[in-house]
Amino acid sequence: MSQKKIIGAVEIGTSKVVVLVGEILGRNSLNIIGMAQTTSMGVKKGEVTNLKSASDSTHTAIVAAEKSAGVSIDSIYLSCSGRHLDGFSTTGKVAVSSSDNVINRADLQRVGEMARTKALPLQRVYIHHILGGYKVDGQPTKNPLGMAGEQLEVQYWNVNADQRKISDQLHIINGFGIKVDDMIISSIASGCVAASEEERDKGVLVIDIGCGTTDFAVYKDGIILRTGVIGVGGDHITNDLAIGLRINYKNAESIKHRFGKAIVDSSDKNDTVLLFGDLTIGDAPISRSSIYKITHARVEELFNIIHNKLGSLISTQNLPGGIIITGGSARLPHLCEAARQAFNVNARVAQNPAWVTNPELKAPEYSTVIGLLQYAMTAQRPDSGGRKKKNTGWFGKMAGIFAGN
Amino acid sequence: MDELFTKNPITKSEAIEDQGISLKVIGIGGAGTNMVDRIKLDNLADLHLAVVNTDRKTLAVSPVQERLMIGRKLTRGLSAGGETEIGRMAAEESRDELARMVTGVDLVFLLVGLGGGTGSGAAPVLAQVAREKGAMVITFATLPFHGEGSRRQEQAKDALCALRDVCHAVITLPNDVLIREIGENDTLMEALSKADGWISKGVSSIWSMLFAQGLINVDFGALKNAFHITGGKTLYGLGYGEGYNAVENALKSLDQCPLLHLPENYASQKADVLILNVTGGTDLGMSQVNRILDAVSEKFSSKENTILSAAQDASMTRVIYITVIGVSDLNGNGPARIRKHTPAAVPVIHTEQAEKELRKARKPQRVDQEEFAFPSDRDNRGLFEDTEPNVYDGEDLDIPTFLRRSLKITS
Repeated sequence: MSQKKIIGAVEIGTSKVVVLVGEILGRNSLNIIGMAQTTSMGVKKGEVTNLKSASDSTHTAIVAAEKSAGVSIDSIYLSCSGRHLDGFSTTGKVAVSSSDNVINRADLQRVGEMARTKALPLQRVYIHHILGGYKVDGQPTKNPLGMAGEQLEVQYWNVNADQRKISDQLHIINGFGIKVDDMIISSIASGCVAASEEERDKGVLVIDIGCGTTDFAVYKDGIILRTGVIGVGGDHITNDLAIGLRINYKNAESIKHRFGKAIVDSSDKNDTVLLFGDLTIGDAPISRSSIYKITHARVEELFNIIHNKLGSLISTQNLPGGIIITGGSARLPHLCEAARQAFNVNARVAQNPAWVTNPELKAPEYSTVIGLLQYAMTAQRPDSGGRKKKNTGWFGKMAGIFAGN
Repeated sequence: MDELFTKNPITKSEAIEDQGISLKVIGIGGAGTNMVDRIKLDNLADLHLAVVNTDRKTLAVSPVQERLMIGRKLTRGLSAGGETEIGRMAAEESRDELARMVTGVDLVFLLVGLGGGTGSGAAPVLAQVAREKGAMVITFATLPFHGEGSRRQEQAKDALCALRDVCHAVITLPNDVLIREIGENDTLMEALSKADGWISKGVSSIWSMLFAQGLINVDFGALKNAFHITGGKTLYGLGYGEGYNAVENALKSLDQCPLLHLPENYASQKADVLILNVTGGTDLGMSQVNRILDAVSEKFSSKENTILSAAQDASMTRVIYITVIGVSDLNGNGPARIRKHTPAAVPVIHTEQAEKELRKARKPQRVDQEEFAFPSDRDNRGLFEDTEPNVYDGEDLDIPTFLRRSLKITS
């Protein structure tokens, strides 16, 4: 039976607010029927710094998206990012209860609860519990239901966030009378678009370098092993250029777009470029090598931090799918080369999936918001029982937040 | 290029020499001794040179006439072994000899490589002794490479704080920055002599201010006045230009001087008192000097606070050297800044009432200094000024990477 459902996907990013309206038909059909985007205000490094202006720009975008789609949105999938996101790994271990040692649903539930119920510090809330796979008597398996064994083990990667920052974001959407169906961290949203299923199976690292933050996720055997956020993005490159070249922010942004490059090569050492390029008053020559040096230092440092955080997960063996870079800053020329130098693993820039027909949405900076829609589609499937359960869990948590306020 | 200042003995003014200003360059510790040894090769004729060390072997091979071994009882002529405390105790032990060394000297240039034992420990003591004897003390201190380990870095930082408390000016030369100026194919000796060039240029430009006959001279009183505060931050930069556009080239090269782009200087390159030395060839005219004065004083200070000296060197044409040394006063208008490192204890002073009073008088000053001396990195956050610090591994990621790594950017 074909059931039509309208879903909104909202990303309140550092540079822009993007709203997509998706129409889900049946199980596997998703159409983007409306989109709008506004310049983001009051958001820095992925976090809301000014609620009023962030609200205003989000509302403008939602209204415009509804208009372009000709429908009204009643529920939204929201992405979230920012340095306040954190993650840790937990394991649960139970003895299989039935006498014949066959694992049943009750065992799965027990072991899952055990791994997920670790108490968080004050002011922190869970965003995701990501299932990292089961082990039956030490043997890894994907679906242990019905298997025989004595001991069942499960591993979760638990993403948690600062409650105040999350409720800020929710307030923005709720203030418009729309409910938030689920909140998904940016790294997961862009990861499921940027990397194909096959790549996620083999093992891949997706790095989403946005304007204010860099979100990354490591996939292996189709599951998310690790996620993380670094509060550094394209804005930092611009800021570095502005300070280093002693030019204002607007000009630095333009220099970054026109001449930015993630690696330094000695060939154009003494070459200069013009600040405006039109020889008007104030136009001045800027050395290319300075631009490259500043940009390279920042990019290299960013990759090194990711490398440090992931440690041994980064190797050609662990990541046969290589590294996929997405996000607005993925447009920076030679970024892949810089990534190859830093990680010693093959790297490429992401391409959005073929079903996205709108040429505008093909750009890497839209992978997060497209990922939200894709995530929403899988969540709507009637057979994904586990997912539904998680949604109620989510609402339970959020109700808790607001009761707390 | 350093002999440029000295090549021409005829330009030396007899009248000034009659005042009997005595300058002495003292190298202390292993690195300091080596620096003096190499400067000696640079043939700075009118400077008295001296070296101080705990290590008998290094002293024995030094070509310098005046050599002093400190801590004879403590280390028996062996080195301080990288221990600051031993260096300090050795200097305390030989306090009288040190005092003899600096008696009657008006201006002491102290050369020291911080991070080791003798230099880091004994230099603050020597600086203090020199001050007590009424000398003005300007210290050139190299800082250890980043790769030399945190212990040496810590020792260097502590020693630097102690030095800043007692010296009139401390000019820091981070090895990390100096090494960047060196070409790939330079030998070790070339690399070292380039690093020493920074020091000898500084010494010789102050020397030429006082002694060389030039367009504009500075007397010792004015110089001493400029450096009347201790503990402030000292800016130090060099520029060199040649050809028909020598002035522009020199200014550009000064602008790119890596020592002016240290992270601690980045927030503000303004100095309260600025000493500007211009040395040019026979074709150096007042208009050129004025142009340099305009540009430099606009960048670093106001004209009223700039002490200008200009000299001609008959042996060259169409070449200009600029040296700027800036000192920041306590009453500067800069924003209040928080001092990062607690200073190491100032070496203990023995008996003598006068010294105690001297200390007392300096104390209230020092409180103010702590507010000013160390500009905070927060000033370099630009766009992210009003956001939470983005700390990873002890570094604030919002501050440009190239600043944290002291990369040289030419614009």
